[in-house]
Amino acid sequence: MAHGSRAGLVAAAAVLLLALAGAPLIPGALDSYLLFFLFLVFVHTVLAQSWNLVAGYTGQISLAQHAFFGIGGYTTAIVATTVLEGGDFYFNPLAMLAAGLVAALFAVAIGVPLLSRLAGDYFALGTLGFGEIVRVVLVKGGALTGGSFGISMPPDAFDTLAPHYWVGLALAVAATAAVYGVARSRPGLALMAIREDPLAAAASGVNVLRFKVLAFALGAFLAGLAGSLYAFYVFSVSPAGFLNLNWTLYPILMCVMGGSGTVLGPVIGAFLMTAVFSAANVWLPSAHPVLSGAMIIVVMIFMPNGILRMRAARTGRPVRWRWAAKQAARDAD
Amino acid sequence: MRSSVLKWAVAAAAAAALQTGVAAPGEILIGAPISMTGLLAPDGLDQKWAYEQAVADANARGGIFVKEAGKKLPVKLVVADDQSDPAKVTDAMERLIKIEKANLILSTHGGDLNMAGALAAEKYKKFYMITTMWPHMWSPKKFKHSALMFYDAGGGAEVPFKIWQSLPESERPKHPALVMEDSPDGQGFAGAFRNFAKKYGYTFAMDEPWAMGAKDYSSYILKMKAKGVDAILLFGNPTDAITLVRQMKEQNFSVKYLHGWKGTWTGEFREALGDDSDYVVADGFWSMDFPYAGAKELGERYMKQFKKGSVVVGMFYANAQVMLKAIENTGSLDPKVVREAIVGHEFKDTVEGDVKFDKSGLALVTSTANQWWKGRHMLFYPPVSGGWQLKLAPAWGQRGK
Repeated sequence: MAHGSRAGLVAAAAVLLLALAGAPLIPGALDSYLLFFLFLVFVHTVLAQSWNLVAGYTGQISLAQHAFFGIGGYTTAIVATTVLEGGDFYFNPLAMLAAGLVAALFAVAIGVPLLSRLAGDYFALGTLGFGEIVRVVLVKGGALTGGSFGISMPPDAFDTLAPHYWVGLALAVAATAAVYGVARSRPGLALMAIREDPLAAAASGVNVLRFKVLAFALGAFLAGLAGSLYAFYVFSVSPAGFLNLNWTLYPILMCVMGGSGTVLGPVIGAFLMTAVFSAANVWLPSAHPVLSGAMIIVVMIFMPNGILRMRAARTGRPVRWRWAAKQAARDAD
Repeated sequence: MRSSVLKWAVAAAAAAALQTGVAAPGEILIGAPISMTGLLAPDGLDQKWAYEQAVADANARGGIFVKEAGKKLPVKLVVADDQSDPAKVTDAMERLIKIEKANLILSTHGGDLNMAGALAAEKYKKFYMITTMWPHMWSPKKFKHSALMFYDAGGGAEVPFKIWQSLPESERPKHPALVMEDSPDGQGFAGAFRNFAKKYGYTFAMDEPWAMGAKDYSSYILKMKAKGVDAILLFGNPTDAITLVRQMKEQNFSVKYLHGWKGTWTGEFREALGDDSDYVVADGFWSMDFPYAGAKELGERYMKQFKKGSVVVGMFYANAQVMLKAIENTGSLDPKVVREAIVGHEFKDTVEGDVKFDKSGLALVTSTANQWWKGRHMLFYPPVSGGWQLKLAPAWGQRGK
C-alpha cells in the first residue's frame, strides 16, 4: 500500500474514532438505542478478535469463547460481591484485569493438554467440552457462583451507558490494535506459519505448542475482558446468560463474514451482523431467527472467505498471510 | 457528487437514530419483554396474548384517564423479544425504553429472565411489574422500581403432597421421583419439594436434576423403571416435558401420577401429545373455573381463539390489570407514582381475585393443580364445589378402554 493512501486510512480511522468517542456527548445520545447498538458492536468486536487470534491467525478452531466470556463475567461478579464492597466494584480496572487474567489462566490450563494432543475438529470439540464443564461447575458452584441463578450486583452504581460505551470502544480498539500488532510481529508470523503447516513451522524452529497456547490465552484474555464489561452492563451473571453458546457462534460468524485472519474483518463482521440481528429483532420480533439463519447461509455460500477477501478472490491477488507464512519460515531459518 | 449524497444520507441516518423521541401524545405506552423465540416461546406467546387482551379491554372502556393529558388516553402495548435468554432481556429492555419510549413495563416470564429485567428497570428507573418469579429471589434485592405478584415456591411445592394425602392410603405413591431442571426456578422448587417430602413422610426413589434441551431422556426413564417409580414431580420446560412423556410411552413406562410444573400446562404440550397428555397434572397460576370477575370470560375467549384452555393467561392478564388499575387510580404515568399506588395496596376483582401487595411490593397468589382431560385443564386443586376429581393413570395399554 502506498504511503499516501496508508496515511489517508490512518487519518480516516482517527476521525472515525474521535466521532465514535464523542457520540455520547451529543445531546440526547444517551437516550438513543444507537449508542446501545454501538456498545454491542464493541463487545462483539472484542469477542470476534479474540476468536480471530486463535482461529483466524493460528488455525485452531476454538468453541470455548463463551466459556472465557462467562469466566470473565463471573470473576467480575465474584470480585464485586466478595472483595470490593459498596460501589467500588463498578468499572474497577483491577476487577476487569482480573477477569481477563483468570480467563487466560484457564486457557493455559486447558490449552496445554488440549493443544498438545488435539488439532482440527478434535481440538474444537475439546474446547466445546470445556465450555460444558465450566457451565456445570458454575451451576454447581454453590454460594460462590450462585448456582443456576448466578450472581447479581447492586445496580445503584449505574448512571448512564456512557462508561460502558467508552470502555467498550477502548477495548474494541485495543483488541484490534493487539491483533494488528501480533499480526505484524515475529510471534504473529509464527502463528500464521503454524496455521499454514504446523509440521513445517516446527521444522523451522517454531515452538508450536508455546505459540498455540499463547494465542489461545490471549484470545481468552480478550473474551474475559468482554465478559467483564458485559457483566458491568447487565449487573447479573448466570449460566444461561453468560455460558450461552451464542457468545461463541456469533463471533465466529462475524469473523467469517468480515474475513478471519485479517485485522479489520472481525470489526466489519461485528458491525454488520450486530446491525442485522438488531434490525431483525426490532422489526421482526417473532421471526428474527429466520432472517438471522438465512443470513448465515448466505454468508457461508457467497462469502466463505469474508468481505475483506472478496476483492482478493476476484482479482486473484495472493492473500497477505501466505506471504507472511513464507516470511515466518524464512525468518525461522 | 455520489459520495456527497452518501455522506448526507449517512449523516441524516445518524441524526435520525440519535433523535430523542418523546412518547406519542395521547397514548399510554406499556412495554413488555416477551420470550417470543427460544425455549420459553410457548409461554411467552400466551403471555403476549394475555397482555394484549388486558390492553384491549382497557381501550374498550375508553382508555385510562391521565391527569397530564386531562382526558382518557388509549393504551398501546409494545413488545420486544428477549429470546428466552437472560442476557438478551436487557437488550429487549433497551429497545422498549429507548426506541419505543415505553412509560411502564410489564414483565417477561421466569426467574432469571425477570431478574435481568428488574435490574434493567432499576438502572433506568422504569417501573417493572413482575409475575412468574420466585419471591425468595426478588425480595432480598429490595428493588425500588418493581413489584411482584406470584406464589412462593414453598406454597406451590406443598400442593402435590396435599393432593396425595387426600387420596386413600392404597392409592398414594410409594416411590415418587423428583425430576428438576437445572435452572433457578427448578432449583428453587427442588429444595421446597424435599422439605415437604420429609414433612409428609415421603422418600424420593430418584432425585436428579435433568438436562435442559436434551433430546434423549431414556437413561432417566430406565433408572425410574429400575427403581419402581410410580409418581413423578417434574419441573421442566414444555419441549423437555413433551420429549419425556413421549419417550415414556415409547418405553412403555407409565406412572399413576405425573405432576409437571412450567412445561405441562401449555397448549403445545397437549397438541404435541394428543390424548397421551390425559392424566398428566399441570401446575397453574389461574383457572377459568375461578369464581372471580372476568375469569370465565377470559378463559372462554382464549378457548375460542386457540381451541384449547390455559391455566396461566389469567395471571398475566391480572399482572397487566394491576398496572393499568394503578395508572387509573393515580392518573399518572410516572413510574414512581404508579409503583407507590401498587405497593401496600389491594386490587379488588382481578381475574386472580383480590390481590394484596405488601409494603415491599409483593403479592402472593394461590398455586393450582389441573389434570389434562381430552384437551381441557380440569381444576381439582384448590377444590371447587362439584368440580373435577383426580384420576390416577393406568398403564399405557389400558388407557382409553
